[in-house]
Amino acid sequence: MSSALTGTSRLLRLTLRRDRIQLPLWIVGLGGMIALSALAVPGVYNSAEKLAGYAASVGASPVSYLMSGRQAGIDTIGGITANEVSQVAQLGVCLMVMFQVVRHTRAEEESGRAELLRSTVLGRHAATLAGLGYAVLTALLIGGITTAAMLAAGLDTTGSLTYGAGLTLLGICYAAVALVAVQLSTSARGALGIAGTAIALGYLVRGLGAMQDNALVWFSPFGWAQLMNAFGDERLWPAMLLAVATAGLLALAAYLTAHRDYGGGLLQPRRGHPRASRTLGTSFGLALRLQRGSLIGWAIGLFFLAMVYGSVIPTIPDLVESNPDIGQFIGASADAEQALVDAFLRYILLFMAVVSTGFAVSSVLRLRSEEESGRAEAVLATGVSRSRWVTATVAVSGLGSLILVMLMGIGLAVGYGLGMGEWDQMLGQVGEQLTYLPGVLVVAGFAVAVAGLLPRRSMLAWVLVAVVFFQTMLGETLRLPNAVDAISPFWHLPGVPVEPIDPIPGLVELLLAVSLALLGLWGYRRRDLASN
Amino acid sequence: MLRGMTLAIQLSNVVKTFGAVRALDGLDLDVRVGEVHGFLGPNGAGKSTAMRVLLGLLRRDSGSARMLGRDPWKEAADLHRRIAYVPGDVSLWPNLTGGEVIDLLGRMRGGLDEKKRADLLERFELDPGKKARTYSKGNRQKVAVVAAFASHAELYLLDEPTSGLDPLMEAEFQRCVHEAKAEGATALLSSHILAEAEALSDRISIIRNGVVVQSGTLAELRHLTRTTVIAETAAPATRIGDVPGVHNPQVQDGRVFFDVDSDHLDGAVAALSALGVRSLTAHPPTLEELFLRQYGEDVATVANGDVA
Repeated sequence: MSSALTGTSRLLRLTLRRDRIQLPLWIVGLGGMIALSALAVPGVYNSAEKLAGYAASVGASPVSYLMSGRQAGIDTIGGITANEVSQVAQLGVCLMVMFQVVRHTRAEEESGRAELLRSTVLGRHAATLAGLGYAVLTALLIGGITTAAMLAAGLDTTGSLTYGAGLTLLGICYAAVALVAVQLSTSARGALGIAGTAIALGYLVRGLGAMQDNALVWFSPFGWAQLMNAFGDERLWPAMLLAVATAGLLALAAYLTAHRDYGGGLLQPRRGHPRASRTLGTSFGLALRLQRGSLIGWAIGLFFLAMVYGSVIPTIPDLVESNPDIGQFIGASADAEQALVDAFLRYILLFMAVVSTGFAVSSVLRLRSEEESGRAEAVLATGVSRSRWVTATVAVSGLGSLILVMLMGIGLAVGYGLGMGEWDQMLGQVGEQLTYLPGVLVVAGFAVAVAGLLPRRSMLAWVLVAVVFFQTMLGETLRLPNAVDAISPFWHLPGVPVEPIDPIPGLVELLLAVSLALLGLWGYRRRDLASN
Repeated sequence: MLRGMTLAIQLSNVVKTFGAVRALDGLDLDVRVGEVHGFLGPNGAGKSTAMRVLLGLLRRDSGSARMLGRDPWKEAADLHRRIAYVPGDVSLWPNLTGGEVIDLLGRMRGGLDEKKRADLLERFELDPGKKARTYSKGNRQKVAVVAAFASHAELYLLDEPTSGLDPLMEAEFQRCVHEAKAEGATALLSSHILAEAEALSDRISIIRNGVVVQSGTLAELRHLTRTTVIAETAAPATRIGDVPGVHNPQVQDGRVFFDVDSDHLDGAVAALSALGVRSLTAHPPTLEELFLRQYGEDVATVANGDVA
């Protein structure tokens, strides 16, 4: 066994060396967001009335349950802080370890770089263990920063420590999930798909369990971390569930590693067609073919998510009845119920649109990966011009975003229809969801602009996604300056259905998106193409 | 189509810098219509940069470039319908099959010859139904070669096209180039496999540090350099070094070794014959020696080492 682990520490050092820019960015970016929020929340809820108001309204709202679960001690400043922070912190730490693990294991193997390392004195399990070590280190850093920020904000010591510990263990657990995923799939993209789905499922299951206040929360790592009851009646034994799950997943990853070939996965690559289909002969056909898999994955995932959200809408009035506090706070009338449903819908529509910017940016940045891999060179050495090559990819990104947004609207309506037996909401839902499309397209347009003008800085497109995510989750709570809010294109759009539909901001943003894309195209037409 | 045009490629004084590095430093290159032009140089000399300038992937800083009579940067897409390109390091879409890539690139270039496609797949023993992810380096290379030669291009840009191919496949590749040439096509072949360049090229340009240092037919290039002579003479050839054009003479056991400038071969042979020649071998410089002479600082040592 020891020989199978040989070289782990050297590999870990190499990992740290390679990520000497990326790791600090993650830590400062994610840790900073969490710390900023944790330090700001106590200033916002600075009186007994505000605390009680929060517990009765925001803290007991269906949106809050779905997004952040049922937080212990929700009528204390510690509980409120944890509730506000947890969405960014929990999802952030899980996504971070997922990207890190895949980047340093399967992506290395896929590129062939790992082969060179494997030929040196390096054990079979060294890569897995180094990936785990790296994830543990980064999760500890994020957990530590969170606890430190909470302590600095003057929150309860036991609560702060418990919360940070839960967050760290959650991250390590999903690192183990990612380590299994990289054994299953032969491509980094596929591994990210599997691990990402696992994160989404865990998050969704916890949210639904919290909303309906049932045992479903016990089926999610997110639930286990939360059930440690930080800032409430703290208990440590749910941490054991996280630890046991992590150990089990690691054992599975080790078993799979030992039973597969280098470069192989559990799924053997299938044979394909010896001839190209009729559609695969233009740059658009190629772009569509290359993105087909990821578009289908996103479509299924977001449709399913929307359907789940749609199906819980009918339970919102029950929630009001079962919780007199919240009814008292917002007024228990039919109008108030409708207002609650609208607020829920607004949040869901916005949240899903923000999530879909992930597709838009990864789709546009295909331009970069095609260029860097040298595959763009093969295409551009044929009769395809740069403009057509860029336009084809961007067209697929734009059309893909449109399809996703429409599917999310349909999914909401289908979920709602299944719950209520009412099917007349379909067109309205799709229309309401579409009002958020311009925001998605602006983010996509920004990605085209950076890829065209600042190819080496194309990570900036992901930075914008992170800022948009942060602003959407925490902008209102933290009362960010408008200048910061204004960075997010979604901030300028009307909050449908709470606010009425106003086409002007959307049209302006469409123009902005097109201008940004044209700017990127201009950049592409005049610069050198990178080559390997 | 090429009426009145004698040069398929004409680069003059092309400069391309990457930051402080001058990858092309006033490159001049003429490739005549219908010829296979060998483009030789060590790693990092600027061969691929020149190819990428010709493909319109890189924008030259200064100098003029014409390919098939047009500007390779401004008219890239139109030009590319008439050319085919094989890079030395082929990267393919992992989830597309080799057959799909060949069709795709062929269609994007404006169509391919079905018969030739089938013929080439057979000759290169390539399985077109496998995903590119599962191809070895050599097989990826074959995909690019088949895709290039399955269309009838006017000009082939071949950038170390046989890297990773086994000797049998390399021979097949050489046949492809001969066939294309017989159809009247032009090729620019960058290589550091000198035997390949020697076998295929009508003319050769040697590039170093972004400048072409030597250009001409193999015979012309040889003429510019030295022939190695080994002779056994009746009288010792101790004074052969005095003959103009003779270099590095060494006398050993009645045998003499020396290099002689090709222009002075006549005089050297006359001097030897006056001493009574018993045996004589003279060999013209191989491309290898030409190459080393252009690059190596210690050419003389290497050449002598070969002889001894």
